[in-house]
Amino acid sequence: MELVTPGIGLIFWMTLSFGLVLLILRKFAWKPILSTIRERELYIAGSIRNSKRIQRELAELDATKEKLLLQAKDKAAEVVQQAKKEGDEIIIKAQQQAREEASKIIDNAKNSINAERKAAEREIRQQIVDLTVDVARKLLREEFTDNKKNNDYVEKLLGDIQLN
Amino acid sequence: MKKLAFLLAFFLITNQAFSGSKEQEEPAGKKKFDAGKVIIDHILDAYDWHIADYGDTHISIPLPVILFYEGEGYFFFSHKFHHGKDAYKGFRIAADGPKKGRIIRVMDDGVTPDPNASFIFDLSITKNVFSIFISAVLLCWLLISVARSYAHCGPHRAPRGLSAFLEPLILFVRDDIARSAIPEDKVDRFLPYLLSLFFFIFFNNLLGLVPFFPGGANVTGSISVTLTLSLFTFMTLHLFANKEYWKHIFNTPGVPFWLKFPIPLMPVIELVGVFVKPVVLTLRLFANITAGHMIILGFVSLIFVLGAAGTVMGFAISPLSVIFVIFMNFLELLVAFIQAYVFTFFSAIFFGMAVPDEHH
Repeated sequence: MELVTPGIGLIFWMTLSFGLVLLILRKFAWKPILSTIRERELYIAGSIRNSKRIQRELAELDATKEKLLLQAKDKAAEVVQQAKKEGDEIIIKAQQQAREEASKIIDNAKNSINAERKAAEREIRQQIVDLTVDVARKLLREEFTDNKKNNDYVEKLLGDIQLN
Repeated sequence: MKKLAFLLAFFLITNQAFSGSKEQEEPAGKKKFDAGKVIIDHILDAYDWHIADYGDTHISIPLPVILFYEGEGYFFFSHKFHHGKDAYKGFRIAADGPKKGRIIRVMDDGVTPDPNASFIFDLSITKNVFSIFISAVLLCWLLISVARSYAHCGPHRAPRGLSAFLEPLILFVRDDIARSAIPEDKVDRFLPYLLSLFFFIFFNNLLGLVPFFPGGANVTGSISVTLTLSLFTFMTLHLFANKEYWKHIFNTPGVPFWLKFPIPLMPVIELVGVFVKPVVLTLRLFANITAGHMIILGFVSLIFVLGAAGTVMGFAISPLSVIFVIFMNFLELLVAFIQAYVFTFFSAIFFGMAVPDEHH
């Protein structure tokens, strides 16, 4: 029976001690412990959220990078093509210019050659006339004394030659 | 290592058995070994802290006796009673009767109980009270040092040492007890109480299993202690109870009106339930812990009972007893945790009932 009879002294001291334990632990133990645990949980949850966000951003960044790379490649190809085209154009232009220049030079040369030739022809003809006259005079000194007659004759011969 | 510890325990206890049975032989059957009395004496509260017997010499720590009787205060140490054999200043520890083990007023002859004695207000620091003081101080020291290490390490580091050992328990109380029974937004106001309750019961249950000073007192197996604990739960519950709770008691929703009027059947049942809850809490913890102690003491006593019949018998039974005691001790470790859990969990459930959500 004494086992199940509560004692007033024990209840009194128990109430006092347990009440004090409750107050002390609430203030000095549970408050810091629980707040630290909660803070840590928030920190961990935040870190997980952050890492997920970073992962997502990284994936986005990766996609952007890929896209940019592709764009850059396209651009580069375009630039190269453009450059090639421009180069070709320049070459063609230069070639044309060169050709024009060359043909001009050739024309000039031809003209001067023609002029030279005509001069030379004239001179040669003159010399031929003179030589022929000389030769003819030497050959026909005796036969042809009349200069006038001779000249006419030679002119006539020369005209034949020219006609030929 | 385990084997060694087992052997050591074995020899220690068989030695005890040997000396114990010798003690029984010496007075030549003058006093018989009364297992029931030994067990009850070990479970009950006491005015001194008994450590050991050597022959006829009792070694014990005297504890202060504080009495208020007829407007007068008395303060002295319990060794004045000479282990219950003598009276002091007209007081004596009752050897039998309904007040057995408690202090009673006696007549001038120092033996006969005073029939006209008025109520003795007994605030003595008994074995259990002293043990509560020790465990309260130890518990506060333990948990405050853990709190210090938390404050010191900050939230960005994993707990280590004692904190790492206690944190699972703290989280267990928070997540599996408080949060599973109390609405989410109201958990915080009950959490410190539930944690203190859990650790106080668990710590005292464990101390109760240590067979020597400063353990060995049957604190959580004392009905005064469990009654006080459940009264704390009762008070906390009604301190925080909201309108819904009282409405649920006096005008239970979802019940046909003829159960409430003209005979208020449901309110009476609900009101009885309010007071049954702490009683059930009180009895469950008390009965479980006391029963465990009784069984362990029973197995130990078996050695002495049979040892009294014959030394050889005592030796023969001791290994078996020791095995059973070890088994029971492990079981009691489990019970120590489970009962702390159950008491805290039911408190949490009652709190959850006291603060239901306003909408339903």
